[in-house]
Amino acid sequence: MYQLLLTRRYLFSKIMPLLAAVAVLLCTAMVLVVWSVMNGFLGMLIGSGRTMTGDVVVRWPNAGFAYYDELISDLVKLPEVEAASPMIESFGLVAFPDGRKVTVTARGIVPESFSAVTSYYDILHWRPIDKPMPKDKDKEDPRLHGIGGTTWAQILDNGKKLQRPDAQGQMKPAVVMGIEMSRWNWRSPNGFYEPGTSGLKMPDGSTKMVDNFMPRDSSVLLNLVPLDSSGKAVEMVTRSMPVANEFQSGLFEVDERVLLMPLSVAQDMLKMNAAKRVVKKAGAKAAQDGKAVESFDDGSEELVDDPARVTDVLVRAKGDVSTTASSLALLAKVEGVYEAFALRHKGKVPGSGSISIMTWEQQNATMISAVKKETVLLLVLFMIISLVAVFLILAIFWSMVAEKTKDIGVLRAVGAGSTGVAALWVSYGLAIGLVGSSLGLGLAYVVVTNINPIHDWLGRALGIVIWDPRIYYFINIPNKVEPDKALMVFVAGVMSSALGALVPAARAAWMRPVRALRFE
Amino acid sequence: MNAVSSSTAQTGTRPDGAGGLVVRNLHKTYSLGRVKVPVLRGVDLQLGEGEFVAILGASGSGKSTLLHLIGGLDRPDRSPEGKDALIEYRGAALTRMSATRLDSYRAADTGFVFQFYHLLPELTVLENVMIASMVRWGFGYISHRANALRDAKQLIEQVGLGHRINHRPAELSGGERQRVAIARSLINGPSMLLADEPTGNLDRNTGAAILDMLLAIRASRSLTMLVVTHDEHTASRADRVVRLADGLVVKG
Repeated sequence: MYQLLLTRRYLFSKIMPLLAAVAVLLCTAMVLVVWSVMNGFLGMLIGSGRTMTGDVVVRWPNAGFAYYDELISDLVKLPEVEAASPMIESFGLVAFPDGRKVTVTARGIVPESFSAVTSYYDILHWRPIDKPMPKDKDKEDPRLHGIGGTTWAQILDNGKKLQRPDAQGQMKPAVVMGIEMSRWNWRSPNGFYEPGTSGLKMPDGSTKMVDNFMPRDSSVLLNLVPLDSSGKAVEMVTRSMPVANEFQSGLFEVDERVLLMPLSVAQDMLKMNAAKRVVKKAGAKAAQDGKAVESFDDGSEELVDDPARVTDVLVRAKGDVSTTASSLALLAKVEGVYEAFALRHKGKVPGSGSISIMTWEQQNATMISAVKKETVLLLVLFMIISLVAVFLILAIFWSMVAEKTKDIGVLRAVGAGSTGVAALWVSYGLAIGLVGSSLGLGLAYVVVTNINPIHDWLGRALGIVIWDPRIYYFINIPNKVEPDKALMVFVAGVMSSALGALVPAARAAWMRPVRALRFE
Repeated sequence: MNAVSSSTAQTGTRPDGAGGLVVRNLHKTYSLGRVKVPVLRGVDLQLGEGEFVAILGASGSGKSTLLHLIGGLDRPDRSPEGKDALIEYRGAALTRMSATRLDSYRAADTGFVFQFYHLLPELTVLENVMIASMVRWGFGYISHRANALRDAKQLIEQVGLGHRINHRPAELSGGERQRVAIARSLINGPSMLLADEPTGNLDRNTGAAILDMLLAIRASRSLTMLVVTHDEHTASRADRVVRLADGLVVKG
C-alpha cells in the first residue's frame, strides 16, 4: 500500500519522472502512428482492388478471349459471386486540347455491370452534393454551386452511361478520366477539387483562357493500337472522345493513368468486336508414318465468324473476402468455372492452364509483400529507437534510487522488506509507463486522425511532402487507429517502463538498510 | 501477535536472567576498502522488560552500530574464534531469523528514532506517521486503515503537532520533525524503542523537551528503551548507563 502512496508522490514531485513519461509518450505515439499508417496503407492497397477491378480477375491480355458473355453467365450462377463484368485493357495515348499528350491505360467497360463489380458509380467525382466536405467551411466546392448549361445530376448521369451530348444534343460515347490525369484539377487543402484555367492556343496564334473543367465543351483525342493475331501492331486508331466525367478512386496511379470508355468503342478501336474475318485456310495431310496428321498452309482463305473479345472478366464476390483464405476459395470456384468453359470452347479460348486467374492480392503480390516487409522493418526500427526510453527510465531511476537511498533506509527501518522496496520502484516505473503510454495513445490518435490536415499544413508552411502520392499510390494518408494495435502498443509501453525500472529496483532491494540510512 | 511473540514459542530457549533483550558476543567489522575496521569486539548486554538503558560513548565507539544490530537493521559477524553472536529479544533470536521475520520484527516490535529524523520529504506529517502502519500491514492495511488513522492522529496530538498534521517536513522545525519521528516509531505499538542520539541535532531546551516526552511515553506504554547518546545529561535520565569504548562495554 505504501508503494501506491509513494509512487503518487514521487511521480509529481520531480521533473525527471515526468521527462521519462514524456519519452514513453513520444515512443508510444511514434510506434502507433507508424504502425497505423503503414497498416492502413496495406489495407487500402489490398482493398483498392475492389474499387477498380473487383475481387478476382480472369485475364488474357492483348489478344483477349471470346464468348465472355457465356463465361460471365456461368460465373454469376455461383452462389459466391455477386457480379461479373467484361473489360478490355489496353495502353493508349491521350492528346489534350492544350497539346499535351499522356500515355494512359484505357479500359473499355460496360458501366452498369462494371459498377456492380467495382465502386464505379460511387467514385464518379463530378456529382451533385448536398453539404460541403468537413473542412470546406467557406463552401467553395464547385459541386455545391450551379453549373452553366447543364446540371451536376446530368453530368453524373453522363458519367454513369459513358456518354455526353454533342452540340446538337445527340448523345455520343464519351470517356471518363481519372481526376489526376488532366492535371487541370487543383486539389484544395480543404479536400475538394477545383477546375483550373489554362491558355488555349488558337489557330491565329492568340491564346484564349479557358475553364478546364473536364475540359468544358471539348474532347480529347484517344489513340489506341490494335494488334493482329500474331501480336503485331496493325495501325493506330485515333478517335475524338468527349469527356463525360472524372473519377477519383483514391489510388493515385489509377487516378493519374486510367481512362474508362465504352466497351463497344474499345472493341471497335482495338478490332476486338464481333466481325466476319478472312483467315488463311489450314489444310491437313497424313505424315509419312501414315498415322500422324500435319497441318499445312495451302494458300487458300476463308471467311469466318470472329466473336467479340475482351481481355478481362472481373468478378465480385458476395460478402466479405478480405481474408486471404476467403479470396482463395473464391478463386478456386472461378477457376473451376473457367475450366468447364474452356473445355466447351476448346481451341477457341485460352486453356485453363494458360489463362491468368488471380485475386487482386495475387496480382500485386510483389508490391503487397514489399509493403508488409517495409512495415515490419519500420516497426522494428522504431521499437529499437523505443529502447532508448527503456534506458532513459533506467538512468532516471538509477539516479532517483541514489537520491532516495535514505528513504529506502527509513522504509527498511520501519519494516519494509526488500521485495516491497523493489515493488515500490517497479510500480513507479509502471506508473510512468501508464501515464506516458496513455498520453502517447492520445497523441497518436490525434495525429493519425488528423494526419492529412497535418500533412497539408507541413506542405504549405514548410514545403515538406512526406507522403507523395506518386510513391504511395493513395492521395490520402490512412487515418485510422486500430484498437487491437493501440492496446498492444500501450501494453508494450507500460511493460518497457517497468522493464527500465527493474534494475534500479533490484539495486534498491539489495541495499542493506543500515548502509542506506548512512548514505551521504 | 507480533513476530517475536510467535518466535518465542518456536525457540523455547531463554538465556539465564533474560528479561527483554539479551546480547552476547557481538562482533562487527566494517571494510573500508582493504582496511578492516573492527567496530564491535564482543559486546555483551542485557536489558530487562521496561528498562531504560543509555549507551554512552565517544564518536566511533560503536554505539550506533550496536543499536542497528539490536534493531535488526544489520547482521553481526562471527567472533574471530568463529563463535556466533546472539541477539535475543523476548526469547527470539534475531541472529537466526530469516529476512522476512526480521522485517516483521522491525515493523511490529521495535520503534526507531534517529538523530536526523529521517522523515520522507514528499509526505505530510500524518502520512509520515501512517507509512509505518502501511508497511506493517501490507495489503491488510485496507482493513486497518480506520484504526491506523485514529492512532496516528492521537499520536500526533500527543506529541503536540495536531495543528501541523498536513504540513511537510520542510515546513517543520528540528524539534517538530523529531516529534513526528517519535510518533512514527510508536504507531505500530512496539514494545521496545531504540533511539540513536534523539536529541543530538537539537538545541538544549528542545532536546530536553524531547527527552521528557520520550520518558513520558515510555512510562505510559511500559516501553523498553535503549538510547544511544554521547550526552551525559541525557544518559543521567536513564535507569542504567552502559559505556562503550573501542567496541567493548567498559561499564554496565
